[in-house]
Amino acid sequence: MKTLNIGKDFSLDPSGRFYTDGEGSGEEFREDCLKNLIESLEPNEKLQIILDDGVEAYGSSFLVEGFAGMVKHGYITSDNLLDKLEVQFTDQDFEFYKNKIIEYISQAKFNSQVYKTTK
Amino acid sequence: MKKISRKQRERDVKLGLDNRRRKKRRTSSETDSSGGSGDQSTNNWIENYRDSGLNVSISKQKRITIYLPETMNFCTEYDSTILYVLAIRRLADTNMGSSYKTYKLASVNFDNLKTISTSAALVLTAELSKWDDAIRQRLRPKVDKWDPEILKKFTDLGFFDLFQNPPLESTSSGKQSSVKVVKYIKGRCGDSKKTRILKKELTNIVGDEISKWTFLRCGLDEAITNVSHHAYPDNKGFSEEDKNWYLTGSYNNDTKQLKIVFYDQGISIPKSLPSSDVWEKALDFFSKIKIPIADRKKDEVLLRAAVELDRTSTEETDRGKGLQDLLEFIRHREEGYLSIISSKGLFKLTVHNGKETIKTEHFNNGVSGTLIIWSAVLAVKKMQSTNL
Repeated sequence: MKTLNIGKDFSLDPSGRFYTDGEGSGEEFREDCLKNLIESLEPNEKLQIILDDGVEAYGSSFLVEGFAGMVKHGYITSDNLLDKLEVQFTDQDFEFYKNKIIEYISQAKFNSQVYKTTK
Repeated sequence: MKKISRKQRERDVKLGLDNRRRKKRRTSSETDSSGGSGDQSTNNWIENYRDSGLNVSISKQKRITIYLPETMNFCTEYDSTILYVLAIRRLADTNMGSSYKTYKLASVNFDNLKTISTSAALVLTAELSKWDDAIRQRLRPKVDKWDPEILKKFTDLGFFDLFQNPPLESTSSGKQSSVKVVKYIKGRCGDSKKTRILKKELTNIVGDEISKWTFLRCGLDEAITNVSHHAYPDNKGFSEEDKNWYLTGSYNNDTKQLKIVFYDQGISIPKSLPSSDVWEKALDFFSKIKIPIADRKKDEVLLRAAVELDRTSTEETDRGKGLQDLLEFIRHREEGYLSIISSKGLFKLTVHNGKETIKTEHFNNGVSGTLIIWSAVLAVKKMQSTNL
């Protein structure tokens, strides 16, 4: 199992949707971090994601773009992505964000939009 | 609040020509919520409202002094409070490059002001900051006749840090107040990590961690993202210097009431909705809740649609979820309220004993931008009941 600690490996302040929204955006998370890790997993290997190590919160724009964007842009299907992710947290308030991640991934339409970078 | 000298002003008029050209790019449809545009319109607006109670004096040189009222509070004195804020905005907007016949803002007098809410203080600070920026930071506050409590509040808010020309008088009132205010934070698009400063300062004045903070931070992040995406569109004549948001918080030691206030001076949520990706969902929302066509463009309706539509729409587009994040802090605390005043619309969610009520309202005079207020009581002293 691989681990992605968002606060340590990506940003303490993940926020915003696009690169143009500033550092730590959902697009940056997906393109520069999550996509590479998902693609590097062995068959049946899972990716543990730690949500609350120094991170205060996640806005919906970040979560939608960062997680559901994987499906929307055709990198992986909803079912496969949900199967590969294992979302962890110690602060119980962060269950809210775990549920949002699952909800947004489940609602996303596979390959429904061609990705164009906002860089 | 007073400009330093006429000579300096004239010198800066030349420097302000760029600013003037920029303002002229704005079309008549993009004027502020007070309606109308142009020099004569501003004069008419001021005269109309002066006749109905706006306290201003007009010099022979058509220079205006605005005398703030005794109370400024968006909750209890909305109409009066917004009137003074709009007067400042209108006059500040016409200050640079308008004709000599147009009224111009000379000063804003705080001497009558006795009480001001945290949200009104933040909005006033933001508007005066905008005016100061527009006239090349030539304002100098004059505080010798200010009420000590007002002086304390604005000092705590960091109001005097705005000005390159500090007051000549002391700003130390020596007054103790039960309401502690966090120094305002001015941010740009993408500055979400600045909200950590608010958390640190609020924790200091409250003396404890704020339960469910993550949901407030989540709402603030989305408010900032919303500013980046919608508040200051490129085709509406905003310069990079205009694209600010303002944030503060306060805590009342007596009532234990916590308030967090966020303000941007953009085009407002209702005005941004028709050009945003969520407009189709809004139309779907209107048809489902049977709002008459004539009412669909009212700011309160548009605002409610923008906040609520994702809960009611089955549309699968992934945009437009962010405004709901604003609601989560109050929902998770199960007590308190969230107010969003944007242009002429109000959306207010109140949660009491875990039960939610939503109120919307239409104002005659709207906010020039979006004002978001979270209010929660951090600790309620409960009477212990005794079993007999």
